[in-house]
Amino acid sequence: MNFTRVSILCLHLGLVGLGACGGDRPAPKSLLDARNELATAKSGPAMRLDPTDVHEAELALQKAEQAWSNAPDEASTLDLAVIAQRKAQIAEAEAAVLKAQQDTEASKRDLQGVMASQLNAARGQLDQTKQVLNKTQESLNKTQEQLQAEQAAAIEQRKKLADLEAKLKDARDTIAKIAAVKDDDRGMVITLQGEVLFATGKWDLKAGAMAKLDQIADALRGKEQPMVVFGFTDNVGTRDNNMELSQRRAASVRDYLVSKGIPQDLISAQGKGPDAPIAENTSIEGRAANRRVEIVVQPKKS
Amino acid sequence: MRILLMTAFPVLLMACGGTIPPPNEEWSAAQADLGRAESGGAPSVPDAKLHLQLAQEDLQKSKALMDQDNQRAASLVALARVEAQLALSIAKATQAQAEAQKAQQDVQKAKGN
Repeated sequence: MNFTRVSILCLHLGLVGLGACGGDRPAPKSLLDARNELATAKSGPAMRLDPTDVHEAELALQKAEQAWSNAPDEASTLDLAVIAQRKAQIAEAEAAVLKAQQDTEASKRDLQGVMASQLNAARGQLDQTKQVLNKTQESLNKTQEQLQAEQAAAIEQRKKLADLEAKLKDARDTIAKIAAVKDDDRGMVITLQGEVLFATGKWDLKAGAMAKLDQIADALRGKEQPMVVFGFTDNVGTRDNNMELSQRRAASVRDYLVSKGIPQDLISAQGKGPDAPIAENTSIEGRAANRRVEIVVQPKKS
Repeated sequence: MRILLMTAFPVLLMACGGTIPPPNEEWSAAQADLGRAESGGAPSVPDAKLHLQLAQEDLQKSKALMDQDNQRAASLVALARVEAQLALSIAKATQAQAEAQKAQQDVQKAKGN
């Protein structure tokens, strides 16, 4: 058995030497498949991506072709054809691996690019937000500064007002030493007795009156508060005369205070005659009390 | 004649390249190829699995022929090796393509955001 196989084999080998074997018969399917597969591999991406495996397949096909022409009946000849086909398939599969790996790398680069640009966009937004925040902070700071300035101004204003009130109180205290001072709804009222200021029936100021009015003018100067000087009489004599007398006396006091530095536009004079008595006109004391001049210092309009 | 044959036999063997030993080493190498294909994911890829099975069948056939027809046995082992190698290559290609697809989807997803 062994002997015959070997003999046949040797016979075939001899025939190969003669070149008389296989060539005339149509090639088996497995060899045709191998040829086709190699042709496919060579025309596809495998040629570029995996030339080594393509070359291996080519060598394997050459081996199979040789076997086919040398020993077409050997089972191993068909094995070689299948091996050649498989090697071509391996070349294609390995090329597919490389291609997919390249695609993956390209996608990863794309992803990095996309993420980098998204990162940049996010950074840009962050910068914008920061700028807006900075601006807001700036305006907040400004507002705060303004608020502080306003607060300081308010404190200053209050201080001035307190100062003024204190001064007014000083003035009031000063005036209180020489005249009756009271407060009513018109403001601070300084009442001077007629006898102190004028001789009976006269409206020019007595010398002593001027000294008192000097002190009042000193106290009121610089307060910048509006004032009205009212003149009053008792009910002795005609009303017209009394009206005129009270008017002239009030004007005298006003003029004198203006001459002592009270601004003219802040002070006016008005005669009230016998119309607003503060006591009965039936007694001497009552009439004396009704003959008077009142300087009303109105509250400063703010 | 018998004597002639007796003397011619070793000569003929010499001429044919000598007695072919059983392909033991190649058989081990084929086993290793099969192992690589299996651990490389071939069983879960249908096309790769087919070639894995072919490799196993070729190995079985080869085993049956061992010491009877060592030449064919060696041929079958060689065939089993390329079948196993192809199974691994196909499995690798399938995985690499899936990875490539996923990478591409990642890009699309990132662009979509």
